[in-house]
Amino acid sequence: MIEVSFEDKKIEVEPGTTLVDAAKAAGVYITTLCHNEQLEPYGACRICSVEIAEGERRRVVTACNYPVHKPVTVFTKSERTLRTRRVILEMMLARWPKVKVIQNMAKLAGVEEPRFAHPDRNESENACILCGLCVRICKEGLWHNVLAFEGRGPTRKVTQPFGEISPECTGCSACADICPTGAITMVDDPNHPADPARIRKAGQVVTREMILLDHQQALMRIVGTAHLVEIMNDYDLLPVNNYKFGDHPDAEKISSPHFRKKYFTQGVPDACYLGCNMACTKAVEGFELKTGPDQGKFVVVDGPEYETLGGSSNMGIFDPEWVIEMNYYCDTYGIDTISYATAMAFVMECYEAGVLNQERTGGLELPFGAADAAIEVLHQMAEGEGFGLTVGLGIRRMKKLFAEKYDADAAFLQDIGMEAKGLEYSEYVTKESLAQQGGYGIALKGAQHDEAWLIFMDMVNKQIPSFEDKAEALHYFPMWRTWFGLNGLCKLPWNDVEPEDNGEVDEPAKVPKHVDGYCNLVAGMTGKEVKPADLILQSERVYNFQRIFNLKMGFGKREHDVIPYRSAGPVTEEEYQSRAERYDGQLKEEQGLDPAAMSLAEKVAATRQWREDRYQKLLDAVYKRRGWTADGIPTLATAKRLGLDQMEGLTELLAAHGVKE
Amino acid sequence: MPKVTIENLSAIAAEAQEKHAAYKSILLVCAGTGCVSSGSLSFRDVLQKEIDNRELSSELKVVATGCNGFCAHGPICVVQPEGIFYQHLKARHVPELIEQHFVQGKPVEHLMYRAAKGERAIPLEKDIQFFAKQQTIALRNRGRLDPEDIADAIRRGAYQGLQKVLAEGIKAEALIDLILRSGIRGRGGGGFPTGIKWQTCRQASLERKETAYVVCNGDEGDPGAFMDRSIVEADPHAVIEGMILGALAVGAQEGLVYIRKEYPLALQRLYKAIDQAREWGLLGDDLMGSGMKFDIQVHQGAGAFVCGESTALMASMEGRAGEPRAKYVHTVEYGFRNAPTVLNNVETWASIPPIVSKGAEWFAAIGVGDVSQSPWGGSSGTKVFSLVGNVCNTGLVEVPMGISLREIVYDIGGGIPNGRKLKAIQSGGPSGGCLPESQLDLAVDFDTLQEAGSMMGSGGLIVMDDRTCMVDVARYFISFLMDESCGKCTPCREGLVAVHEVLTRITEGKGRREDLDLLEDLGAAMKEGSLCGLGQSAVNPVLSTLRYFREEYEAHINDGRCPAGACKALIRYTIDTETCNGCGACVKPCPTAAITGKLKQVHIIDQEACIQCGTCLDACNFDAVRVE
Repeated sequence: MIEVSFEDKKIEVEPGTTLVDAAKAAGVYITTLCHNEQLEPYGACRICSVEIAEGERRRVVTACNYPVHKPVTVFTKSERTLRTRRVILEMMLARWPKVKVIQNMAKLAGVEEPRFAHPDRNESENACILCGLCVRICKEGLWHNVLAFEGRGPTRKVTQPFGEISPECTGCSACADICPTGAITMVDDPNHPADPARIRKAGQVVTREMILLDHQQALMRIVGTAHLVEIMNDYDLLPVNNYKFGDHPDAEKISSPHFRKKYFTQGVPDACYLGCNMACTKAVEGFELKTGPDQGKFVVVDGPEYETLGGSSNMGIFDPEWVIEMNYYCDTYGIDTISYATAMAFVMECYEAGVLNQERTGGLELPFGAADAAIEVLHQMAEGEGFGLTVGLGIRRMKKLFAEKYDADAAFLQDIGMEAKGLEYSEYVTKESLAQQGGYGIALKGAQHDEAWLIFMDMVNKQIPSFEDKAEALHYFPMWRTWFGLNGLCKLPWNDVEPEDNGEVDEPAKVPKHVDGYCNLVAGMTGKEVKPADLILQSERVYNFQRIFNLKMGFGKREHDVIPYRSAGPVTEEEYQSRAERYDGQLKEEQGLDPAAMSLAEKVAATRQWREDRYQKLLDAVYKRRGWTADGIPTLATAKRLGLDQMEGLTELLAAHGVKE
Repeated sequence: MPKVTIENLSAIAAEAQEKHAAYKSILLVCAGTGCVSSGSLSFRDVLQKEIDNRELSSELKVVATGCNGFCAHGPICVVQPEGIFYQHLKARHVPELIEQHFVQGKPVEHLMYRAAKGERAIPLEKDIQFFAKQQTIALRNRGRLDPEDIADAIRRGAYQGLQKVLAEGIKAEALIDLILRSGIRGRGGGGFPTGIKWQTCRQASLERKETAYVVCNGDEGDPGAFMDRSIVEADPHAVIEGMILGALAVGAQEGLVYIRKEYPLALQRLYKAIDQAREWGLLGDDLMGSGMKFDIQVHQGAGAFVCGESTALMASMEGRAGEPRAKYVHTVEYGFRNAPTVLNNVETWASIPPIVSKGAEWFAAIGVGDVSQSPWGGSSGTKVFSLVGNVCNTGLVEVPMGISLREIVYDIGGGIPNGRKLKAIQSGGPSGGCLPESQLDLAVDFDTLQEAGSMMGSGGLIVMDDRTCMVDVARYFISFLMDESCGKCTPCREGLVAVHEVLTRITEGKGRREDLDLLEDLGAAMKEGSLCGLGQSAVNPVLSTLRYFREEYEAHINDGRCPAGACKALIRYTIDTETCNGCGACVKPCPTAAITGKLKQVHIIDQEACIQCGTCLDACNFDAVRVE
């Protein structure tokens, strides 16, 4: 620590701390203009010039970017400090006499009338004062580089390329927001929102958080969702070998630090859509393909995202370059990496269990980790030939096929075939989170986590202990997440970067400040004021409509909300033993049994019974909270409350399933 | 071509010398930019043709050299081995020169230098006063070799310093110590000790395990300065060898030369020299067979004054706008691509090889002060200046540190032309300072000039005579800097505009009594508040003229009078009725036809039409034009 002394205060700071930060920590005020906490120190306006003494040497430096490396005394009120600031403000006042921020600073510094006439005197109150905040936030903050300085010396000005409005400008308005003089005006949005300023303001809050907080939190802008690999591995949630296990010693090889160091080639905002201030998409460039029709080509691969990486570990494959190759071909073929990976993990377990063999796979050896064979299957799927034809059917149909054709144990296949409603599971191990089992099982479209991701709330933070708590979460979060779909918005900016003080609010998992932000977006767009509860209601209406639609199509009842037991607990003895301490403990504490007196098979069976029973109780609680019958069907009252009772044929449909009121 | 090795360098040099000595005479034709513009290349071509025609090519060898230095007298040809100096040469002089000098053995007197009209001719270059007081280290090969022939450079001793280091196995630390002991300080302007710079860079490189870069600053943006350009044009291998030695010291594998695109000849010769050095094994993967890896690439700047500043230069080389950043973190630690970087200017690099081959003590003994404890103790070695302005012998001079300004201006420069009086010397480029006649006996070294309110800068010396208005001069430099300021920081961008505004109103006779205080105020804020050296020193021309020529400012403000008769708004030209004899010499040159009068009658200037250009003043042979 190094001592920094001010006229009447002292403070100790870390080496490299800037004088401005040291002053702030000491409670000393130093005037700044071009400085902003979101940006690298720039040192251009020179308003923060202060006289300092380091040993014998006295000189004037700028506080915003002067790093403390030895004990220093700062004279914020010395004659040299004051004169430098005064004359600089006199220069600025001569050029921009009407700009408020300059007038105020000049007044504080004791400057009244400049003593010379500036040839480029600008009478506007909103004149650009060349502080560069806009240029820097665009470059450093958003990585867009749409704004820049042009010309030098007195001709310097802020501009966009070729002096035109750049087609690259996303209209994020961060520049207008940070501008201290109001010199930047936004051209109106072609969508004609009711209150563009309100929308921009909501967006600026997100921008600011991205710039200031993302690098302390999820690194979404640096590595995107890939950062989840290491977190999931640490919490026993990274699927390994068809969800048998939740971590693996080789996970580091496909973790985000490794990708960041070796593969991701990005310092530019790559986003699904140009205006995104999170821009979390990542790419690998110059990748040479080793297999398939494009073998030998150098390509750009978008990704891999977390699910693709988790899918790979689920197949027992921990080779980063293999993941990139698989990612490329899935994209090129139009195959979902999750469905492919989860289906392959199922196939691999079937292979290891003897359900499949080389004869049945067309000669391919397919145990876990069989990377070359797995990519071959992917090519076959796309070509519509060989064993690829079988895997391409998906897990639900494969289960049926293997049972019928190979006389496999249908119950075993049901336990390990990770699909619900025909959709393959996404890549999270849910055994220890009952709420998440419900999140997958009740989800309308099948086992996808984008309706609810409750693992941390439930398992790590233990915020929703009772069935009612879980049911409440399985009401609120699916409705909330559905709302993003309704509005064509991405969910990531909602909770992948959180406000600094989110931990202090009542329900941090909801990120209430961000929910308010979305209310502002809606109100700014439509001109109608909305509250968070209104948004949930919007979703509830659609969600229940979808459930009824499913019902009509034969998919909307309790019997369809089943999950494979692998997602609720250990199917095999091998799995049980891999986490024996945990399961034994639960037998004792949750069920009052004595594991020491039980055989392994008994323990597996008892665990299963308890876990399956819990899932049923969860369904009861959730259906109740949602206003559904015990069979998982919206009641007529619920339909009425949501204004769905006007739907043609609704009463008849519900009645046909025994729902009368 | 031979691969140069540690073992065979001397043999290659000897072989080149043998070939060289086989000629009866070597005709060194200056092909520096100055002489080229006055026609030295066509002279060279005609000369060569004449030699070929007379079948003298086995006896006479013509070499196009880099800048000889005596630019005012170009085109120049020096005949070796005698050292006979011919000046102002034209193609029509060729037959006479060949016949008289080389066939009959009688050197041609009327083509030789004379100190003044009517004085006797001085045949030998070394006897000419301009050269007599000079001592060349950085310019050791000026006008002495063919810059496009590496063998010629090796003949003159190029790469001997490198050979010594490699052959004797001198370690990096020892090499840095040698540079430290020589006391050499940066020739680019700041005068920071080169050895300390190298040491800091090496340390940073070792600590962070990051390979350092060596960079040569050839941006040279000062108006009237051409030291660096001339060195590259005359002796590019000196720069290359210096950089290799620097690379050895700091452990760099890559060197960069930043040089402005406006120096085409220097660029052409540098590219060629680098190519030849690569072919001869003096750059690349295995320098002189030692296993050392080092190569140089050239980065062409677009010609912005501020890009001579280290951080702006590096930003420019990295492909960003040439704007400086704060130097609280030095480029020697975090420079090019954020790696430790040694940046020295052309002259410094060119001075390194002789220091290495002749020893630190030899260099330290030249100059002033005592550098035995620390390079800060004095200014050792020599310094190159471009001597321009109102001085007879304009050109490139290299003098030992500590020489007086008087010796440079009068002994080397030959004094002020047209019998006028010296008024001031501007040193250190546009942001240097103007020193008055009374300061002429100042020793020229880093610290003395600084104390006097000027600076060594990169070595521009502009001599001004008594017809120069110092307010106007200050305004000229401020105007130059105003254009060249990058505009990033307020004090430089707005301060220069403010100072320019105030100076303009003073030169227009609209100055106020408070203006001098205002200028000092603005100056102080710029000096203390500006981001980089450009802004911090930009106000030097004003502050130094205020210090030494305050009465001239006061005359403008208080009396509405320009004592030097230069500020147009304050003067009028009239024709003295007594003196004018009506010769009419002033009528035709007047660009606005403001002068009328019949032949042999007194002429009159129409004050409405006159634009105060002063052409009539120069045209009148009878001193009849008056400035009021």
